[in-house]
Amino acid sequence: MIRYIAFRLLAAVPTLILISALVFFIIQLPPGNYFDTYVAELQAQGETVDPNKIEYLKHEYGFDKPVVEQYAIWVWDMLHGDFGYSFEYEMPVTQVVGSRLYMTILVSMVTIIFTWLIAFPIGIYSATHQYSWSDYGLTFLGLLGLAIPNFLLALILMYLANIWFGTSIGHLMDAKYLGQPMSWDKFKSIAEHLVIPVVVIGTSGTAGMIRRLRANLLDELQKQYVVTARAKGVPPLRALLKYPLRMSLNFFIADIGGILPSVISGAEVVAIVLSLETTGPLLIRALQSQDMYLAGSFLMFLATLTIIGVLISDIALALLDPRIRLQVRQTR
Amino acid sequence: MDAIPGPLPPDGAPIAHYISPKPFDPKAIEKLSPIQERVYLASQLRLMWWKFKKHRAAVYSGFFLLILYTSILISEFLAPYNLSHRHVDNIYMPPQGIHLFHDGKFVGPFVYGTRYHLDMDTLRREYPVDRSVVHKLRFFCEGDPYRFWGLFEARFHLFCGPKGNDAVFLLGTDRLGRDMLSRIIYGTRISLTIGLIGITVSFLLGISIGGLAGYYGGWIDIVVQRIIEVLQSLPSIPLWLALAAIMPVDWSPIIVYFGITIILGLIDWTGLARAVRSKLLSLREEDYVMAAELMGASPRRIIFRHLIPGFLSHLIASATITIPSMILGETALSFLGLGLRPPVTSWGVLLNEAQNINVVALYPWLILPVVPVILVILAFNFLGDGLRDAADPYHTAW
Amino acid sequence: MLRLAGTACVLPALPLEAFAAEEPADIAKAVIGDKLPPLAERLPQNPRVVDMAPLGKSEGRYGGAMRLIMASADDIRMMTVYSYARLVVFDKDLNLVPDILDHFDVEEGRRFTLHLRRGHKWSDGHPFTSEDFHYFWEDVATNGKLSRGGPPQAMLAEGKPPVFESLDEVTVRYTWEKPNPSFLPSLAGANPNYIFMPAHYLKQFHKRYADPDKLKRLVKEQKARNWAALHTVKARQYKAENPDLPTLEPWSNTTAPPAERFIFNRNPYFHRVDKSGRQLPYIGTVFVDISSADIIPAKTGAGESDLQARYLRFDNYTFLKQAEKKHPIKIDLWREGTGSQVAFLPNLNVNDAVWRKVLRDVRFRRALSLAIYRHELNQQFYFGLAHEAANTVLDSSPLYEKSYDEAWSAYDPARANALLDEMGLKRASDGLRRLPDGRLAEIIVELRANSQEEEDVMELVRDYWREIGLKAYPRTLQLDVLRRRFLAGDTLISMWSGLTVGEATADMSPEELAPVSSAQGNWPKWGEFTETGGKAGEPVDLPEAKQLLDLYESWRVSETTDQRRKIWEQMLRIFTDQVFTIGTVNGVFQPVVYNEKLRNLPEKGVYSFSPGAYFGMYMIDTFWYDNGKGAK
Repeated sequence: MIRYIAFRLLAAVPTLILISALVFFIIQLPPGNYFDTYVAELQAQGETVDPNKIEYLKHEYGFDKPVVEQYAIWVWDMLHGDFGYSFEYEMPVTQVVGSRLYMTILVSMVTIIFTWLIAFPIGIYSATHQYSWSDYGLTFLGLLGLAIPNFLLALILMYLANIWFGTSIGHLMDAKYLGQPMSWDKFKSIAEHLVIPVVVIGTSGTAGMIRRLRANLLDELQKQYVVTARAKGVPPLRALLKYPLRMSLNFFIADIGGILPSVISGAEVVAIVLSLETTGPLLIRALQSQDMYLAGSFLMFLATLTIIGVLISDIALALLDPRIRLQVRQTR
Repeated sequence: MDAIPGPLPPDGAPIAHYISPKPFDPKAIEKLSPIQERVYLASQLRLMWWKFKKHRAAVYSGFFLLILYTSILISEFLAPYNLSHRHVDNIYMPPQGIHLFHDGKFVGPFVYGTRYHLDMDTLRREYPVDRSVVHKLRFFCEGDPYRFWGLFEARFHLFCGPKGNDAVFLLGTDRLGRDMLSRIIYGTRISLTIGLIGITVSFLLGISIGGLAGYYGGWIDIVVQRIIEVLQSLPSIPLWLALAAIMPVDWSPIIVYFGITIILGLIDWTGLARAVRSKLLSLREEDYVMAAELMGASPRRIIFRHLIPGFLSHLIASATITIPSMILGETALSFLGLGLRPPVTSWGVLLNEAQNINVVALYPWLILPVVPVILVILAFNFLGDGLRDAADPYHTAW
Repeated sequence: MLRLAGTACVLPALPLEAFAAEEPADIAKAVIGDKLPPLAERLPQNPRVVDMAPLGKSEGRYGGAMRLIMASADDIRMMTVYSYARLVVFDKDLNLVPDILDHFDVEEGRRFTLHLRRGHKWSDGHPFTSEDFHYFWEDVATNGKLSRGGPPQAMLAEGKPPVFESLDEVTVRYTWEKPNPSFLPSLAGANPNYIFMPAHYLKQFHKRYADPDKLKRLVKEQKARNWAALHTVKARQYKAENPDLPTLEPWSNTTAPPAERFIFNRNPYFHRVDKSGRQLPYIGTVFVDISSADIIPAKTGAGESDLQARYLRFDNYTFLKQAEKKHPIKIDLWREGTGSQVAFLPNLNVNDAVWRKVLRDVRFRRALSLAIYRHELNQQFYFGLAHEAANTVLDSSPLYEKSYDEAWSAYDPARANALLDEMGLKRASDGLRRLPDGRLAEIIVELRANSQEEEDVMELVRDYWREIGLKAYPRTLQLDVLRRRFLAGDTLISMWSGLTVGEATADMSPEELAPVSSAQGNWPKWGEFTETGGKAGEPVDLPEAKQLLDLYESWRVSETTDQRRKIWEQMLRIFTDQVFTIGTVNGVFQPVVYNEKLRNLPEKGVYSFSPGAYFGMYMIDTFWYDNGKGAK
């Protein structure tokens, strides 16, 4: 067991290094740099930019150094906890991201819980009533959430919420609570606004989860021990819940690894449309303007989160299921 | 066996010795009745088909998709107007309803005429219906010219408005006065084929890489697994942004379109590769593989000729489930400004144009392209579900 | 207010009783509590009196808060633009009048003496004196580390800086060898030429004055690269990110970024008063909320903004007008101040030799312009309410001439065809013209991404140019890519907006009409040559463009307004006749949404960055909320 964990941790290191190189490379890939974008935008609005100033800034931030050197400096700084400097906000990256991270985690957590709450009953029902019209109906509803493009659904719900309930447009709370300490009114406002992103992001995730739960459960339900249990008179619900469900929960554990990063990044589009105070719009803007350190560090953070997540779920799975532990590596 | 003729004799008396006059067939036990033969000796494909038919939603979806794909071939015929035909006098016109009865009489499918009125207060174009003017729809008529498959000029359309300037807009018009129905029909072409080409790229990549990893195991497996892990940890959006940014500007829209499909394909192959790999890892130990090796078959032959066909059906099923994500991916790319752009028309482009408050509040018919998107995605999902259930006919579930 | 050459109309000082005028509640409380000095001590001895009546305004009441919605934290610079407190400002007749300055004298167009208001204080109570000008000139503009490229362009006449003199506490003088007509307009710009800085605050960040250890600590705290970077960040007045930086604007920012809501509070030392002696601004607080640009029209339509024009487009009008019924907002239509809503810029520096020759031939450009059916564009997108014209100044500008509007902007495809035939671009069997070397005359028009207006106009223009035998394609690109491409000479024709200074006067710089910047898509390389002083780019080799450049240079050393007007007229005539840019329509309506209780906002106005500073010219410090009690 320990060997398994140690091996996985060790294997994670080269992966992280590879990811960091890829991330850096990808951000640098589009031609130009932050200052070109900055200058172009100002000029497009009819404002003037002093070219001397731009050259000076470029030199200050080391844009005239070779790419490999810039990469090395970045990695070195990150290992020391210095995630770099954002050109757009002119402050350290950690300061820029800081407050938004809480909101991101809040939205993600609530979405995941919402998804599970919906997917579970539907999945179980679907598996036990295969091919019935209610099976089709529920699957249809689940798929509907997947099929409607997120950005459109978010816009429509946002508008309807404003017309019907008077919810202010976009964001996670009314404007007057921004930057204010938490209070009961602020909490209510957040809850009110949280509904739309959670519904939009959550519904697109439920379809996949329903399908997987249904499939896994069906798999288990065909097995001999279930048939035996029923034949021996165990009540149907108990026969369902006591063993088959627990067996198929394996995949939930396996899913944890992939779920958090996918919710964080899948929510980006919705966050842009609704102008949420999460990290999604921040990341997109940073990528588009090539605010290198902000984008790079945040992407590394997301990637690390994924790897840790996968690691945790693999370990959890190994703990839960002895069969996996016994999986011998086969070579040819 | 024939029944013993007559009533039974009294107790104690011997039973008459009965010999059946029928000719003796030594294989009588093993022989199957015609019905049994059909079932037990059915080929794999046949079994799959029966299983598939049980999933009724999948069957309907299959038909629906088949119809859509064939309609791509005759888009120009089905659409009443060309893509570039702008009706300057009919901007932002709401959908016109088709009526059959006018003044109590059956007239055939027609639409009422409309007048144009500009509300000077809100600067809104209004089209109040004029019930005295009847515009009958013409079928199999001459309309906008087009080049059929780029081969020859034609003007033949399924239906058009009455002759002259009056036009028919079943789904309304957009801000440039273009007919939405025609745009959606033309958009079908691009949106449906993007998914197919993307999935082909994904498929090929997934099978080859996953196959190699699964078969050889060892170092190759470890490397491939790490690569897959890396690619799956990379958030997709930055990857798209970067890939879209490096596409040269002077490429024509068609080439950009292919570039996008390849990008979409490059994203999704990891899931497929993983599935292939895990299947191969288990199937590798089967006896028939060992037999093939002993007989001197090359690894390539073993993978492609023996192993893969064993679970090709599973692959096809999961591939079918991935096509919807390609279609959604195309719409998401359009939203981010990275995908197709006008003048190329796809559902993603249409939805992107509908992505603003004016449309949601005032011109909601411009959101109608979402309906075919939903229908196609649902259809592919049901079809995939059905295929997957059918892929293992002896196994009730996946 | 009367305007004489350079001096303000000096009103007699207001009687002391007037200074016992009413104060807003929170200020009055602070005065009683001894936290703020009384009004008489807060205002300069001779504050600027804003007479409401001639401006069509009414004297208002104190109170209320105004919400604005912006799209990014960068946009808080819009508060500086809207507030528009400058040394000299443009009034609504486009005359330069002193604002922060009490009066100014100009001699020979090259010696400027600026007189400050005695007793004028910064927003933290510290006196505003010539020391602040001295600090800027000696320690910032001419300091090698803080201004690597030297002093700002507007401070140079023929490349030479002025001689700065601080005559006394309230008087400074700048003297150049040659006349510098850019100087005063630059002080009045929306993004102004700041020639003063709060010395008392900034000295702690300057190497020459600060305690070295303390400075080092500050640099480390801020994680700045060195003291120069720290000073630059702290000293930024245009984008008011530093809440500790004193200001002269009517409101000062109290929120440090990053934030989603910036709170601007009243500056108790602001130098303007109304005729009753009450200190402006009337409105006490301004909230700047940050939202993504796409939902700003929706938010405005839900009544979440009290004054909004930025990020609203003409096509939002219907939606917003309907929202009037449901929310306490009103919508007016102002006019956009650009020379052309959408303009086509043929790149005279394109690399392709054949195309370069074709584009440089004025007949080709004229033909392109004549083929555009502006009336249809106007009808289709603007309901016929815009003004069809070439890319030139608006009719509200004193330089306007009808001939500029009409230069080659009528719809005359027959003439266009004739011009192209004359040039020798023959049509082939498919009806499309060929270039002299036989290639298809195919034009790729490059435009910015996310601009639906430009894409739509291009759809129509594509058909128009097809009529005259030219095949055109649109290609959308990211902004910086577009700019890079036309600078590199890869772009054939780009789409951009027209002249920024639609409401130009003779005293404003005609730089947009001449090749002076690499950002000009019609002659980027010539512009780069001028910009870098010959180090990069190509010298101008087209006689008419050279003429424009020479005229611009002569404007930069002109002495009198009369001279400048003649130069402008010549330049406009050449610019429009030579069709260096192809304009479409201008004067498009710009929706302005405001809280229905807000007063002193004009019903009709021109919305432009330069010279109007958007709302700046209309003085938002005079806006007030009428809560039913009417004007004072």
